Amino acid sequence: MDFRFTPDEEQFLKEVQAFLDEVLPPDWLGVDPDGHNEQADEDLHQFDLEIRRKLAARGWLGLQWPKQYGGQEAPMMKRFILEQELIYRGAPYWAISAALMTGDMILQFGTEVQRQEFLPRIARGEMQWCIGMSEPNAGSDLANLQLKATEDGDSYVLNGQKTWQTGAYYADWVILYARTDPNVKKHKGITTFLVDLKSPGVSMRRIPQITGHPAFCEVFYDNVRVPKTNVLGALNGGWGVALFGVATEKSFGYWLINSGRRDLQMLIKYCKETRDVDGRLLCQDPLIRSRLAQLAIELDVGRNLGMRLNWMATRGMPIVATACQLRPLGGSILQRLSHIGVQTLGLYGQLDEHSEWVRLRGRMKYLYLASVAMTIEGGTNEASRNTVASVGLGLPRG
Amino acid sequence: MDLSLTEEQEMLWKSARDFLASKVPKTLVRQMEEDERGYVPELWKEMAELGWVGLPFPEQYGGGGFNFLDLVILLEEMGRACLPGPFISTVILGGMPVLEFGTEEQKKAILPKLCKGELIMTMALTEPSAKYEAKAVQLEAHHDGDDYVLSGTKLFVNDANVADKMIVAGRTAKGHHPPEEGVTLFLIDRTAPGVSVHLLKTIAGDKQCEVTFDKVKVSRDDVLGRVGHGWEIVKKVMELAALAKSAEMQGGAQQVLEMTIQYGKDRVQFDRPIGSFQAIQHYMADMSIDVDSARVSLHKAAWMLSEGIPCRKEISVIKGWLSEAYRRVTAQSHQIHAAIAFTKDHDLELYFRRAKAAELYFGDADFHREIVAQELGM
Repeated sequence: MDFRFTPDEEQFLKEVQAFLDEVLPPDWLGVDPDGHNEQADEDLHQFDLEIRRKLAARGWLGLQWPKQYGGQEAPMMKRFILEQELIYRGAPYWAISAALMTGDMILQFGTEVQRQEFLPRIARGEMQWCIGMSEPNAGSDLANLQLKATEDGDSYVLNGQKTWQTGAYYADWVILYARTDPNVKKHKGITTFLVDLKSPGVSMRRIPQITGHPAFCEVFYDNVRVPKTNVLGALNGGWGVALFGVATEKSFGYWLINSGRRDLQMLIKYCKETRDVDGRLLCQDPLIRSRLAQLAIELDVGRNLGMRLNWMATRGMPIVATACQLRPLGGSILQRLSHIGVQTLGLYGQLDEHSEWVRLRGRMKYLYLASVAMTIEGGTNEASRNTVASVGLGLPRG
Repeated sequence: MDLSLTEEQEMLWKSARDFLASKVPKTLVRQMEEDERGYVPELWKEMAELGWVGLPFPEQYGGGGFNFLDLVILLEEMGRACLPGPFISTVILGGMPVLEFGTEEQKKAILPKLCKGELIMTMALTEPSAKYEAKAVQLEAHHDGDDYVLSGTKLFVNDANVADKMIVAGRTAKGHHPPEEGVTLFLIDRTAPGVSVHLLKTIAGDKQCEVTFDKVKVSRDDVLGRVGHGWEIVKKVMELAALAKSAEMQGGAQQVLEMTIQYGKDRVQFDRPIGSFQAIQHYMADMSIDVDSARVSLHKAAWMLSEGIPCRKEISVIKGWLSEAYRRVTAQSHQIHAAIAFTKDHDLELYFRRAKAAELYFGDADFHREIVAQELGM
C-alpha cells in the first residue's frame, strides 16, 4: 500500500500549483464546483475562458487522450491531480470539465470523423459544451425524456424542451438526449446527438436560482435540424451513452469535498483571527473548535474515499458505486459546512456580500444558498443511494 | 499510489478470517463475557504460535517483524470476530512501549516471552477521574531509597485481571510542574504485594478492572523510560491504541454491514425482500458510506505510521470518525433487523454493545476532535 503520488505525478502537482499561484488573483474567493456562478456572471465567464486558454496552452486539456486527437497520452492520475487542484483552489473548471467529459464520450462512442472534428478543438480550449439531459418530466427519471427526434432525409428534426441546463447560455454545443423511438421501453428509444446551439430553432430562457445567479437555462428546440453524422453512438443507444457519461461524471462528490477544504480553511483562519466579546479568539471557544474539527474529520474521510475512487479508476475497477457514495457524502458535508459557517459568523453570517459590514466577503451565506443544489444536481442523494444499494451492495431492485 | 493489499497482507487477512471464524464462534464470545478471565489460554497460545502476538515486534525479540499496517489488517478481523481477550492490552499497551522505550534488559526479559504467548500485559493509566489526560495521573509514586512506593487507584484498566505485568503510570513530581511533567511509568507484576485487582462489569462484557496499589514497592530498574518523562510514552502509546482500536471497530462495522445486507436480501415482508424497499436501501447505502470511507482512512493512518510519517491528526481523524460511525452503523442495523436482533439469540447486539464501549476507549470523538483542532493550529 502506498498513498503517495509517483515522483512524476508529484512534479506535475507542483506544476499545477505553481500555475494556479500565477493565474489566480491573491484574494481569489473561488467559483462554485458546480459552475453556477461561473456560468451566470459575465466577468467570471471571461475569467473561465482565460483559464481555459492557458490550460490548453500547457497541453493540460485532454491530458490522457491519444496524441492524434490533441491529447498527451498522459496517465489518468494526472487528470485527477489537475482536477483536484483546480477545484480545491476554486479555479473555474466546471465548463472545462463538461467539455472534457463530452470529449471522453466522443472518444468512446464517436466516429473517426467526430473524433477528429471535436477532440482537437476541445483540447485547444475552443469549445464550451453543456449537457442536455433533464426535462420538466425527466429529472431523476431520466429515461422518461420526451424531446423528440424525427428522421428526415439525412437529418433528424428535434422538437421539445430541456431544462435546468447549467451553462447552456455560454455553451457552443450540447450533448443532447432525445427520443427516437416512442414505441419501445423508455430507455431503449433514446439517442444521443451532438448539437450546435447556434442552429436555427434553438432558443433559451435563463432561470435565476436561489443565489440570484441565472446559471440554469430552459432550452427550447423548435424544428431544429441535426445531420445524421452528429448522432453519437448507435441509434437508440443513448441510454448506454448516458450511463457512461454519468460514470465519467464520477468525481463530482470528490469535487465538492475538495472545494469544501478551501472553505473550511477560510473559516478556520477567520476563527484564529477574530475575537468574541470576551476578547477570546473564536477558535478557543470549545463549541466552535469541536464543530470545525468535526468538519475537518468529515472532509478528510471523504477525501480519502475520493483518493480511493481515483485510484480505482486508474486501475480500471468498477467505480460507479464508490462515486455514488461520495455524492451524498460530499454534498451533505458542504451543506453542514455552510450552515456552521453562517452560525459561526453569527448575525454577520446573513449579510450580503456588498455590505460594508460583511465578513468573509459573504462566502458562507453564499455557500449556504449554493449548497442546496449540491445534494441534488447531477443525481440526487437519493438516486445515488439507489445506485449504491443496487450496484454496490447487490440489493434487489424495488 | 497503490491502495491494494500486498500478497502477504491478503494471506494474513484470509488466514486470520478463517482461523477466527472456526475458533471463535459467538457462543464462545458470549461465554467469555461471563468468564472471570475473559479469554481462552489455549487459543491465546495458538495465536502466539501463528505469530500474531509477536506480529509487530522485531525478529530478534521473537517477533514477526511486520509493520503496523499488517497489524491493523489482523485487528480488523479480530474486531469482526469479536475476539475476546487481552490482545490490544498485551501488544499495544504493554509490548509497544517496552519495545520503543525499554532498556535492552527490559526488552530481553519481556518481549520474547510476550511473543511466545507466555506473558500478558496491560497499562494502568486511567484513574477515577476517567480521563486520558496527564493531569488525571494522580497515583502517588514516591522515592524510598532505591525503590519507589506506589499508592492509589487505577480504574478502567483493561485485562488487569489476567495480566502478568502492567505498566503503571504514577506521579513522581507534583507541584509547580505542568501536568505532563512528573509522570513516571513502572513495570509491576500483578502478583506484587500490595496490588489488588477487581473486575468491573461493563456494557461490552470486556474485562476492565479497578486496580489498587497499597504501598507497592518498585525497584528503580523497573522504571520504563526516564523518570518524570512517562507522559511522552503514554501519549505515543495512546495514539497506537486509538489506531489499533479503530481497526477492531472497522472490522466490526464491516461485519455488521455485511450481516445487514444479507438480512435485507433474505427477510421477506409484504411478499418481497425488505432490501428492495427504498427506505431500507438508503439506510444501508449510508452505512456503506460510513464503513468504506473509514476503511481507506484507517489504512492511510496505519500506512503513514508504518512509513514513519507524522500522523497524529490522521489517527484522530479515524478514531474520531469511527467512534461515531461504528455506533451509527450498529444502531442503523438494529433498526433494519428490528425485533429479532435485540434478543440475546442474535449476534448483532454483541456489536452494538462493543461499538459503544469502543467509542469510549482511548479517547472518544470529542477527545479526538480536540486533537484535530490542535493539529489544525486552533
